[in-house]
Amino acid sequence: MGTQRMIRAAAITAAGALLLAGCSAANPDASKGGSSAVTWNEPTASLKGVTLTYWTATQTAKMADQVITAFEKQTGATINTVVIPDVYETNAPTKIASGSKPDLATWQPTASMLALLQPKTGLQNLNTAPWLKTLSPGVQQLGKVDGSTYAAFVNVPSVIGMFYNKDVFAKAGITQTPTNFDKLVTDAQTIKAAGTAPFYGAVGDRWPTQWWPQVLLAEKAKAGLWDAVNTNKDAFTGPDIQAAIVEYKSLVDAGLFNPDNLTSTYNESGPALLNGEAAMVLQISGFTSLLQSSADTKTINAKIGWFPISKDGNLGTIVPGGDSALVAPKTGNAKREAAARQFLRFWMETDYKSYVESSKQVSIEPTVPSPTDVPQVALDASKALDTAVGSMQQLAVVNPDFYVFLADMVQGTKTPEDVGKLTQAQFEQLAKALGVKGF
Amino acid sequence: MSTTTLRPSQPVRSGAAGAARSSRRKAGAWHRLIQPLLVAALCAVVVGIPLWLALITSAKSQGEANLPDLSMPTQWHLLDNYQRAFSEGEVWRGLFGSLLVMVPSVVGVILFGSLAAWILARRSGRLAAVLYAAAISGLILPPAVVTIVLLLRQLGLASTPVGMIFIYMGMYMSIVIFFITGFVRTIPIELEEAARIDGARPVRIFFTIILPLLRPVIATATILVCLYIWNDVFYAFFVLGGGSTTTLQLNLFQIASSNLYQNNWNLIFAYVVISSLPLLVVFIFAQRKIISGITGGAVK
Amino acid sequence: MAHPIVDAERQLQRRDARMSERRQASSHPARFLLPAFAVLGVFFFLPTVFNFIYAFTDWSAFKSDINFVGFENFASLLGDGSLFTALRVTLIYAALVGIMQNVFGLGLALLFERDTRVNRFARVIFFIPVLMSALAVGYIFQALLKPAGAVNEILALVSGQNVHIAWLGDTTWTLVVVAFVNSWKWMGLAMIIFLAGLKTIPEDVLEAARMDGASAWKTFLRVKFPLLAPAITFNFATALLGSLNGFDTVQATTAGGPAQTTEVLNIYIFQIFGYGLYAQATTMSLVLFFLVLVLAFPVVGYLRKRENVL
Repeated sequence: MGTQRMIRAAAITAAGALLLAGCSAANPDASKGGSSAVTWNEPTASLKGVTLTYWTATQTAKMADQVITAFEKQTGATINTVVIPDVYETNAPTKIASGSKPDLATWQPTASMLALLQPKTGLQNLNTAPWLKTLSPGVQQLGKVDGSTYAAFVNVPSVIGMFYNKDVFAKAGITQTPTNFDKLVTDAQTIKAAGTAPFYGAVGDRWPTQWWPQVLLAEKAKAGLWDAVNTNKDAFTGPDIQAAIVEYKSLVDAGLFNPDNLTSTYNESGPALLNGEAAMVLQISGFTSLLQSSADTKTINAKIGWFPISKDGNLGTIVPGGDSALVAPKTGNAKREAAARQFLRFWMETDYKSYVESSKQVSIEPTVPSPTDVPQVALDASKALDTAVGSMQQLAVVNPDFYVFLADMVQGTKTPEDVGKLTQAQFEQLAKALGVKGF
Repeated sequence: MSTTTLRPSQPVRSGAAGAARSSRRKAGAWHRLIQPLLVAALCAVVVGIPLWLALITSAKSQGEANLPDLSMPTQWHLLDNYQRAFSEGEVWRGLFGSLLVMVPSVVGVILFGSLAAWILARRSGRLAAVLYAAAISGLILPPAVVTIVLLLRQLGLASTPVGMIFIYMGMYMSIVIFFITGFVRTIPIELEEAARIDGARPVRIFFTIILPLLRPVIATATILVCLYIWNDVFYAFFVLGGGSTTTLQLNLFQIASSNLYQNNWNLIFAYVVISSLPLLVVFIFAQRKIISGITGGAVK
Repeated sequence: MAHPIVDAERQLQRRDARMSERRQASSHPARFLLPAFAVLGVFFFLPTVFNFIYAFTDWSAFKSDINFVGFENFASLLGDGSLFTALRVTLIYAALVGIMQNVFGLGLALLFERDTRVNRFARVIFFIPVLMSALAVGYIFQALLKPAGAVNEILALVSGQNVHIAWLGDTTWTLVVVAFVNSWKWMGLAMIIFLAGLKTIPEDVLEAARMDGASAWKTFLRVKFPLLAPAITFNFATALLGSLNGFDTVQATTAGGPAQTTEVLNIYIFQIFGYGLYAQATTMSLVLFFLVLVLAFPVVGYLRKRENVL
């Protein structure tokens, strides 16, 4: 009997102690120390013995390889790349919740996605970064939360636009790219009549569906649609967004997509466009990398063209992607935090030219020219940045899974009204958790 | 259908026996020919085809493997794929990690579990019943991933093999206690009484009398727990992911999601084969013992 | 006046009980329970309890402080339709797996019952999927079930027509397919358990049935099936519990798709966690816990009772 009472008492005390400790330590982002003064070491200063952890997604697994190798060589540091399996945006925050924190991570540099990392207490403030002023003005405005910069852009943010196969267009007799959405649909009908699938949908991966309503809302976004949604004055169930969803559905119903739309994937869309299986693919400019994986620049320049499209014109829509920027979380270890900052400096100052050339990316620093073998489509997309408008990802305060419900709609299990209702419900739930006023 | 003539000395058998005889003859044909053929066909189709796909795709080049089908590879890339799997997939590290977390967990959970099961099986009374219910509640309660890992962090064990071992032990303690408690009750208490009268202390009784008699059910429990731990990805991902320890299955998960634009099925299946081989080899050598262990221990 | 004899007996019983308790305490010391319960307590119960506490808070990735919010999470969860969808999917999945796994396992056990060379070989073969990880199985079937994959290829060969079924792309039937994949992986284990159960059926009972001229089917229905009750309990219970708490197989095969029609509760919980809504996710795991409780006990209880009756 005595032993049992002892056991019970021990258990209760242990439980109580851990309970108290656990409640406060539940959120590992609560950094106790004040932010140390943000110094910027020389990019090639020695970092012997320092190991940094770098998280990245499968899509960006090799993105930083060149920079990492150069950095390791020149500073003696070791960078441990950890590829977090899909879905990065689900798995990485979960791992952070359970206590692991990287020193560097690729992250979608929109306010809604950065919110998951609690920028004010969890990320290093990059306002004083030396290279910031060398970025193009359009990019300098991005990556901010409440006026402070928390994301270091390394690549040009994506612009949603229509990639098209020039041969298929010529065969269908289309000589001018459409100047608004209605003309686009007419062209699509023409192409369909000429025997090719006008659009390649890739609904199998779900996320490509969301670009369609977004380009249809570009003008409205410019006029402040997302500000209204953010303050609960408009909603996904409101007339503007509903109209866009319904119009997207009408395209699907009109048979303007590839026959295996429902199961086709993003990976298949690249080769499909190059082969002329479909005439057009609406995608973010990261699509260029997909094209580059199966064709060289010469072929791409010859076969593929690009134009932005929106409801009433050719307004591009900006979607900063998971491959656009890095963040440097506050880990509490001053040495590693400084080393992380140094790595970013190295990337954007010392190594930028080599990086841009080896990765064949468009340069975001006006003083560094883009390599000559960057496909023309990528250059066109980056030019559209100056006049483009922000997407839902960029302008909405939180990021609901709009694409999930849109994909369901295309699969036939939800109506446009359902899509609006469910997305709005999720939006409100997330906004409430974030503490946004009005929810 | 009977071709034997009735011998006059034998009485005419009733219809039932006649039916039994003819059904025995049908049974003969069934047993000799049809059943084995059916079994072979079943094995080949139901299990053979999926395994064949894995094997054959692991020998193809990436382009060919992009659309995995049942055809033979035009060019055999068996060696390169497996070499790549070994180097890029860090097979040795994964194997070491899997063993590192599995063996101590199994030893620990069997030892602690059987010790506790013995007590719970022999003690009577309300408290014992309540404790038993608590002990096997883990069979039903789903483990809570994030809070488990938070706890490890508190204890300073996050991302360590030791932390993983304790978590596995916690997860599978209930199943061990469940199996063993039932089995202990079949061991006659007289054996223990006899030893006790001879002056043996409980520890001695447990290790010299009880444990040996528990061999069948321990075999079952060991096999099941090994199976679960070896093949676990979900918990290993949260506890070990990103740390310096990795397991074979975790590596498979990484490999399968690592290629950018094309599924590298050839590499994935090479890794599938590699990660399944250890358990398979052990099984082939010990299959009689394993199967008799499970059949002996489970249906009590 | 109380009967002195009865009193004495009762007193003797009580004295015996006290003595046996004391004897038990010394021969089976409670401290032997410590290691197991320490591990269970710290590494299993504690996190689970925490998990349930967080369901009543507003823990999220967006805030560093945590506040109690009472039943708010439950209220919003009830108002949200997706909880019911995930619940429905999980229940259907569990039922399908429970039935399929055991029907297949039983069928295989009956087929491979005799100890012939072929049968022993087949038992080993069918146990191989049990040894593989759910991930491996998921990837294999993903490849097999593609619209242009091996299964359709074979069907096309057999039927002579072009077969292009999207096995993992159908919003109605993919759940059945995924349940089948899970059963494929585990039916070997069910088979072994059933084989064990069949072996415990006394030979004379079977001999009697044979003497009565019973056909194989009748023998099965009247003799074997009832006597297999313990094996059925074990298999059904494990299948049920395993699939209600299932994650690995479904995740590896469809990741909850298409259109969330195979999104079992654990996958949904995993996703909610990914949004940063940690408290809501733990609320859902609390719901899952109660679901299992409400389902598992009656079902297992019923099966156990069947064993005793028979």
